[in-house]
Amino acid sequence: MIQFLFVLLFGVAAIWFGVKVFTTASMMRSALALLFSMAALGALFMAAEAEFLGVLQLMMMATEMSIMALFMIMYMMSPGGLTPMEMTHQKRFSLVAGVVTALLIVSVAVSQFREPSAVAVAPAPDAQLRGLGGELLERSMLVFQAAGVTILVAMIATTAVAMRRHE
Amino acid sequence: MSVLLTGQLVAAVLFGVGLYGALSQTNLVMIMMGVELMLGAAMLNVVFFWRYLHPEMYSGQMFMLVLMTVMAVEMAVGFGVATARFRAKGSVEMEEAGELRG
Repeated sequence: MIQFLFVLLFGVAAIWFGVKVFTTASMMRSALALLFSMAALGALFMAAEAEFLGVLQLMMMATEMSIMALFMIMYMMSPGGLTPMEMTHQKRFSLVAGVVTALLIVSVAVSQFREPSAVAVAPAPDAQLRGLGGELLERSMLVFQAAGVTILVAMIATTAVAMRRHE
Repeated sequence: MSVLLTGQLVAAVLFGVGLYGALSQTNLVMIMMGVELMLGAAMLNVVFFWRYLHPEMYSGQMFMLVLMTVMAVEMAVGFGVATARFRAKGSVEMEEAGELRG
């Protein structure tokens, strides 16, 4: 019951801050709202007893959103929203697309939902770490390596794209 | 109501909000925020499915790590494009980027 309440609380927080990302005039507030939404997701993971993933999410998102806020300040004419600018288009279509997609997913989730026959017990945090470590270095090692190489390639390609061109 | 179903409903709404943002915003950084929200919703589903259906199989957590990689790569590539665009045109408004159309 307590777990359900926490999942509900952090779920509502994640949605609330997610909506705030697109309803505030200030870019900085948008970045902070996204940070809080992602932090609420991290808290949701912890409420679901996936402690390592929750902490990982919190640490990664704190860094990622700080970088995003920096880019906001760099590229925006008015990052604080002092001079309101219209930065949206096709609002009605987007709203309909968002609502219809969410309703579709909700209807599939509700119609296909079956209560699991046995109550699934989460492994203890240390057992989870050991299990994930084993998974990373045994069965999923190729996927893990591929993810690492993908990040490296993305870093090099991004730096190459963003470098100043000398004519 | 079941905790698993609650998580799925939260993820569905979050995905819808992200889709709205990605489609309605004209600023590249804001579009990326929408995509981040959609990926966050996918991660939430993955974690809840792992936890409440197969907590003994760690491939669910592995999939979550792959999604985090996708998020990081999306951010890196997006900011690389934004920097190049800002250098070339002085703005990251996608309304002014009609020439990127294929």
